[in-house]
Amino acid sequence: MTVADQPSFKARADAALADRTLKTAIERTTGTAERKRAAALSTFPEFEAARSRGKAIKDHVIANLDHYLETFERNAVASGARVHWAATDEEARDIVVRLCIEAGAKRVTRSKSMLGEEIGLPQALADAGIERVETDLAEHIIQLAGEHPSHIIWPAMHRTREQVAELFKADHVPAPDAEDPASMVQSARRVLREKFLSADVGISGANFLIADTGATCTVTNEGNAELTTTPPRVHIVTAGIEKLVPSTAHAFALLRLLVRSATGGELTQYTTFHCGPKRSGDADGPEEMHIVLVDNGRSTMIADEFREMLRCIRCGACMNHCVVYRQIGGHAYGGTYPGPMGAALTPVLDGLARSRDLAFACTMNGRCAEVCPVKIPLPTLLRAWRVRSWNDGLEKGVASAAVGAWAAVARRPGLYRLVSGAGVGILRLIGTTGWIKSLPFVGGWTKYRDLPAPSGGTFMARYKAERGKEAAK
Amino acid sequence: MSARDRILAAVRAGLGSRPQAPSDIEAEAASLLAEPDEIRPRPVDTTLVEAFCTKAGAVGTTIDRVTDLDAVPAAVERYLAAQGLPPSVAVQPDPALTGLGWEGVATHAAIAPDEAAAVGLAGWGIAEGGSIVIHSAPDSPILLAFLPVHHIVVLHTDRILPHLEDYAATLSEGGAVPRNAVLITGPSGTTDIEGSYVRGAHGPGFVHVILVAGEVR
Repeated sequence: MTVADQPSFKARADAALADRTLKTAIERTTGTAERKRAAALSTFPEFEAARSRGKAIKDHVIANLDHYLETFERNAVASGARVHWAATDEEARDIVVRLCIEAGAKRVTRSKSMLGEEIGLPQALADAGIERVETDLAEHIIQLAGEHPSHIIWPAMHRTREQVAELFKADHVPAPDAEDPASMVQSARRVLREKFLSADVGISGANFLIADTGATCTVTNEGNAELTTTPPRVHIVTAGIEKLVPSTAHAFALLRLLVRSATGGELTQYTTFHCGPKRSGDADGPEEMHIVLVDNGRSTMIADEFREMLRCIRCGACMNHCVVYRQIGGHAYGGTYPGPMGAALTPVLDGLARSRDLAFACTMNGRCAEVCPVKIPLPTLLRAWRVRSWNDGLEKGVASAAVGAWAAVARRPGLYRLVSGAGVGILRLIGTTGWIKSLPFVGGWTKYRDLPAPSGGTFMARYKAERGKEAAK
Repeated sequence: MSARDRILAAVRAGLGSRPQAPSDIEAEAASLLAEPDEIRPRPVDTTLVEAFCTKAGAVGTTIDRVTDLDAVPAAVERYLAAQGLPPSVAVQPDPALTGLGWEGVATHAAIAPDEAAAVGLAGWGIAEGGSIVIHSAPDSPILLAFLPVHHIVVLHTDRILPHLEDYAATLSEGGAVPRNAVLITGPSGTTDIEGSYVRGAHGPGFVHVILVAGEVR
């Protein structure tokens, strides 16, 4: 999914802000996630040290990425898997669709993978006339709704239980027994069970690629990954090249960070290492295993400041703690990945010209960087996108003219004192109650909240006055 | 140029020139696993078995303890009765299990899509998170751990390891990595509807460990 051909970010954010149901849905899930994460960390005093180590592991992998890619490929091939390389999203889609067609696939089950969304796999399978069955409960919900994920851990978090009940009642035969989450989960289990066992191909992502064994690792709570990858004749994995780790033990060090940061658990219910196809005599497993290694812009991030973003382990903590995400939800961001990590990554995937707004949808409060389990300096990266957008001449209109005017005035201290003094005086005149309800040029701000009126004069005026008092003593 | 060559060339261009030999890279990777106690939770109890039981219980796994493998069928019978289930289970086709005296319980090998209960052997237990580990093999179908509603797992106490790294070490020492290695930490669940937890999604809604004292036979 890309930000192309969508209404402007401002229009998307406005629509989200006007949606009261959305606000309820977002608050229910992110609020719970924030509390559970805090509880998990309170019993894990080693978190800070683990975080530093996690950062070091990912930095080490990226610094030696060519070595690890080749090592992984060698070991995966030795296990009997076939490794494919895709430089772009289009190449990745083509490879997966070709493999499905070669397998004679009519029905494909899919275990949730954000990379699959990134490369547009759902649409590509539909275009090829292949039935796609999403098996993760949240992905099942949004497939029924014809939507895209709004969160990387809880793709359907924008939907309330009442809305999910409507979808299930319309689609499930028999319909769910009741509208509580437990009854709806049972209904999905019933409906999907037969599809798991009759699929021709199972497609999964990977949370980690283990270089020294050639295995791919998935983590899930529902058990849908194993039911997706075990019964079909062919298992296809799509994974970004940054998912590599040196060994299983390194994956575990990162897993401790990932699960606590994502759901507040210590481990997901299922952590599975998939190493090649069915072995001779094995009781079950796929006859073929294919691994598609996807670059799609990642290699271009290595040489600049966005290299830090390659550490991301996709836990979603940054969005759960983001004041902007919690107001507008994931869809308003427009790309595959929402929230702070999405705002940092989308310009790489979809181009800065189409996504320049995202870097500005940020208050710079730093919460995302504080909670990031691999210490990605997200505000710094968003600031870097702002600078690039300015340098590329993408900043136009009122904001650009205003910053230009400010810069011209700020270079002349006398003029700056005069203008800022006058400005403060005018704002105090308008905001006699201490708050300003509307103001020309900043309607985007005052539409949703009042602007505080200045409580005193300018800093320079105050400074001079204080100096005067000192001198008089 | 193939996509593989293009990607590797782009990666190398981004990294610039580096003198790192593979052996140096491996040494650096190993150094990142030094002092593991600094980056993992401390065990909760004094003995490994108690630690495992506490953590497994915390994630919703129930535990029964028997002194001998021969006592497993009776323990399974007890569990099925307590759950109000008929005395019938799918049993993993491992001779260590099929060879036991299943007088009170009807057993079968094939696992039905809606199997009520199945009994399998765990390769390992990991105390850190209360996990059990299943490896695929000719006599170990992976679906046995995913299709039933009740997954009953037989685990020998001397197969309990303290930490995740200890399990990882068994893989590198043994040399043979199975096709599928699954760490199971509690029953299947989901929080996909409004973040509220529901037990029993696609996998088993119940995981019941029968801990057998002593060595693997």
